[in-house]
Amino acid sequence: MQASNNKELTPLNSQVSSSTAFAEGLLLAQVATATLELIINKALALNNNKAISFAALNQKTLTLALAELSFKLSFSVDTGSSPAMVMVRSQVDTSDCTIKTSIKTLKKLKANQSLTQLIKQDELDVNGDIKIAQQFANIAQSLAIDWQSELAKHLGDVPTHKLLQFGNKITKSISATGKQIEADISEYLVHEKRLVVTRSQVSAFNGQTTAIAREVTTISARIDKLFAKLAAK
Amino acid sequence: MSSSDKNPQASDLPTNQKTPTDADTSAESKGTTHFGYKTIEKDDKISMVAGVFHSVAKQYDVMNDLMSFGIHRLWKRFTIDASGVRPGNKVLDLAGGTGDLTAKFSKLVGREGKVVLADINSSMLNVGRDKLRDKGLVQNIDYVQANAEYLPFEENTFDIVTIAFGLRNVTDKDKALRSIYSVLKPGGRLLVLEFSKPEHELLNKAYDFYSFNILPKMGELVAKDGESYKYLAESIRMHPDQETLKSMMDNAGFEQTSFKNLTGGVVALHKGYKF
Ligand SMILES: C[S@@+](CC[C@H](N)C(=O)[O-])C[C@H]1O[C@@H](n2cnc3c(N)ncnc32)[C@H](O)[C@@H]1O
Repeated sequence: MQASNNKELTPLNSQVSSSTAFAEGLLLAQVATATLELIINKALALNNNKAISFAALNQKTLTLALAELSFKLSFSVDTGSSPAMVMVRSQVDTSDCTIKTSIKTLKKLKANQSLTQLIKQDELDVNGDIKIAQQFANIAQSLAIDWQSELAKHLGDVPTHKLLQFGNKITKSISATGKQIEADISEYLVHEKRLVVTRSQVSAFNGQTTAIAREVTTISARIDKLFAKLAAK
Repeated sequence: MSSSDKNPQASDLPTNQKTPTDADTSAESKGTTHFGYKTIEKDDKISMVAGVFHSVAKQYDVMNDLMSFGIHRLWKRFTIDASGVRPGNKVLDLAGGTGDLTAKFSKLVGREGKVVLADINSSMLNVGRDKLRDKGLVQNIDYVQANAEYLPFEENTFDIVTIAFGLRNVTDKDKALRSIYSVLKPGGRLLVLEFSKPEHELLNKAYDFYSFNILPKMGELVAKDGESYKYLAESIRMHPDQETLKSMMDNAGFEQTSFKNLTGGVVALHKGYKF
């Protein structure tokens, strides 16, 4: 792949290395986003006992930019389809809310280092409408999924088993995120001004999503097989 | 926007688009063109390509998954990601066939936006329309039967035009590129997703073997149509390579043209802007 061409296609990211370009050609970002999209929408479809309102999020996009990840993760909602759908992309021109951080920072968060400190040290950056991030986080929080039985219906035993481990982790991460966000809200409402409060929620949500994205990339080979299986249906 | 939800059943082409009339000076268009490896009369290509796609329309999606091991979904996903589509955009999915890209664009442009699925072939368009309606996608999609060389839209209509695995079937590619350029809005972009030239010789050989030995057999077995799949393999080899297509886009007026190789150059995504 010619580096110059690569730059032209992704003008915002002018420091793309040739190894990144090669990885892009292997479509790992697309494998990751396709898998996330599949899992999220499956979760939404299975979540029929809880009414989730997407109205406020229709056509809104939340983007996570992680320093260690060569691509972004953008989540967009469409309520025009029935049921409402979340689409995941690795690149967008505009986003209603963009959160910039790093996995390194997220690890610090896990180690309970002060979020306020991290924000003050510019290790977390939020651009755009923070309410969007909050709403996405709320939805993630309200998903409770029985992956086991649903996936087993569609997939063979071995991939199902592997995907389930993955899915359960996500479910746990998501509910943990919810709790963390609640804790953050009360903590920072007391200590910080409003903007910082919402940043903290966002970063917590971000942290969990990052972990998920990492895992997605590592099981990409397995996912190829799943694609083939699904395609054969 | 013209011919909203036009019924494409009647014939393969609206009569006013059937025969190219402009004097054309490009090398490929002096009377003859390629149909796979065969050199044929230019006027025959449209009906021969039509024959192929009428014949494969019903099994098209299944065959796509089989032949590419499902990877075509990732190539298309890459195209969507690179398109920069946003709510409210008007998108033309040209040679859109069974509407994979249209389905995704429809959700991303929302109610304020519009996607036009255009194809020269009524069978492909019908399969596409049924599929998208089954998915509940109706609000913002128009179906138009059209030849890429003579697009029946006003100038400056679309924010994005995509043509995925379609350009190599077009008789006069230069004319199609000019036609696309004209219907794009200033600031709009064209994305061409198409088979291309693998970057490495070894991959090239393996790919050749696959295309000429395995692919037509798969076509025969699953779609009972080895000949059509032989055409597909041949047409892929006759399609201009990365640099050639890029300069064809330059010649048609596109700016900031670039391409990205996917899966080792088996497929390339070309992109160009109209300013
Ligand atoms: C291989 S299919 C691709 C369909 C779809 N874009 C996809 O990626 O799955 C090629 C399509 O190009 C259409 N086509 C061929 N020549 C065309 C032309 N001159 N104008 C418009 N569409 C054309 C065919 O009818 C066919 O549906």
